[in-house]
Amino acid sequence: MIYVVDGLNADLHGELLDGMFRLRARVFEGRLGWDVEVRDGRERDVFDSIDPAYIISVNDAGRVVGCMRLLQTTGPHMLSDVFSSILDGEPPLRSPTVWEATRFCVDTRELGAGRSRNSVSYVTSEIMIAAFEYGMAAGITDAVAVMDPIMDRVMRRSGNGPYGYLGSAKPMGKVVALAGLMDCSQERIDRIREFSGIRHDVCQPERTDIAA
Amino acid sequence: MALNIIDLSTVPADAENLTSFLDQLCNQLDLDFASYAMVDPFHGSVHGYANYPDTWKQHYMQRGFQNIDPILHKASRSIAPVDWTRFERDDLFAKVFHEAVDFGITPQGLTVPIRGPFGEQGLLSVTRNCKQGEWEKVRRHMIGDLQHAAVHLHDSVMSSSTLARLLLRPQLSEREREILQWVAAGKQQQDIACILAISDRTVEVHLRSIRTKLGALTTPQAVGRAIGYGFISPQ
Repeated sequence: MIYVVDGLNADLHGELLDGMFRLRARVFEGRLGWDVEVRDGRERDVFDSIDPAYIISVNDAGRVVGCMRLLQTTGPHMLSDVFSSILDGEPPLRSPTVWEATRFCVDTRELGAGRSRNSVSYVTSEIMIAAFEYGMAAGITDAVAVMDPIMDRVMRRSGNGPYGYLGSAKPMGKVVALAGLMDCSQERIDRIREFSGIRHDVCQPERTDIAA
Repeated sequence: MALNIIDLSTVPADAENLTSFLDQLCNQLDLDFASYAMVDPFHGSVHGYANYPDTWKQHYMQRGFQNIDPILHKASRSIAPVDWTRFERDDLFAKVFHEAVDFGITPQGLTVPIRGPFGEQGLLSVTRNCKQGEWEKVRRHMIGDLQHAAVHLHDSVMSSSTLARLLLRPQLSEREREILQWVAAGKQQQDIACILAISDRTVEVHLRSIRTKLGALTTPQAVGRAIGYGFISPQ
C-alpha cells in the first residue's frame, strides 16, 4: 500500500515519515555507505525541509518497506545543489514538467526475492506505479532519478529501465550513483503493471481533513 | 507550450501584460478566473495579479483575506498542482469562499505551485464553475499547459528585477549547448539523437529544459536567445 505524503498532509503521517527516515538511514548509510547525515537512527537532509513529496510503501504489518522523494527541477533539488558530480559539474535540467526522484530505496532486510507481495521487485514496482501516476496527474512528462546500480538493474530487468542517463556514474560510498531519465507516461505504467501483475489502485485515497 | 499566449519574455512584466496573460490563459483553456501571486525574495513584498472582478479584489483586501487564505499560505507546500478539494474541510478556505460565491466565484479550482532557483515561490490559481466530472476532464487536459504557463509567468516576474536578471543568467549544460547547436544547423530531433547516440526522448527532454532556461516558448526562439548569449554560434 502506498501513501503520498507532502507538505499539506505531513502532520497526519508522522509515524510513516519516521519509519521512512529510519529506512533511509539503514539503506543509505548502512548498505550503500553514502556520506549522509544520520541522527538518532534517522537520515534527513536539507531537502527534507523544503516540502518534497514522498511516495511511501507500507507492508501489511504497517511497516515502511520502501520510499522515494520527489522535487521540482525548477527549484532547489539535489542534482542542482548536491549531486553535481554525477552531472560532471554541468548545470542540471530545468523544466516545469520534469521532476527529480531521489532517496529511492526498498528494505532488502524485510523483502525477499521473487515477485510476491513481500519482494523487492513488487515494492519497487508499486512505488514506481504510484510515483508515475502521481506525476501524470500533475502534468509531469519525465523524471530524472538519482539511484544506485542495483536499483537501476532491478528496473531494467523488469523492462522499465531509464531511456537515457545524464552525466556519468560516480563513486558514492560503497557503490556508484547515477542519474537516469524516465518518461512519466501511461505506456511505462502499463509495462510496470504488466511485469508486476499489480492491477489494483496502489495509492491510499487522499484524506481531505488536512487542516481541520 | 501548446497555448498561443502573450510571450512575457518579450514585453515588460507589468500589471497590464500580466493581466492580459491571465485573460488569454482563461480564454484558451475555457476557465473563469486566473490569479498569480509571489513573494519577492529580494524585497519581501507580495506581488499579486488576478482577473477577478474588481469588487471581489477590493472585498478580499478589505477583509484581510490575503492573511488567511490557505491557497496563499499552504499550496506552496505541495510539489504538485493542488486541487482545492484538498481544502474542503479547511475552515479558513470555507470562510473565504463562502463570501467569494456572492461575487460569482466558484470554489472549484486548483493552484499550481512554482518553485524557483532561489527557493522563491509562486502560485498560479485557476477556477472554473462546472460539474465535477467535467472539471476532472478539463483538469487532466490542461494540466501540462498550466505547468508551463505557471513557470513562464513566474520566471518573467522574477526577471523583471534587475538583480534577479543578473543572478538568473541561464546556464546550459554542455549537452544542451551541443543539441541546440545541431538544431541551429538545421538537424531534426531524430538526427541529433543519432549523431549523439542518445535516445530521441533524451533530446526532447533537453530541448524542453533549454526552452525553460532561456524563457523561450519555441525552439527557434531558444536558438535566437542562445546565440544572443553566445552559448552557440550562428551557422
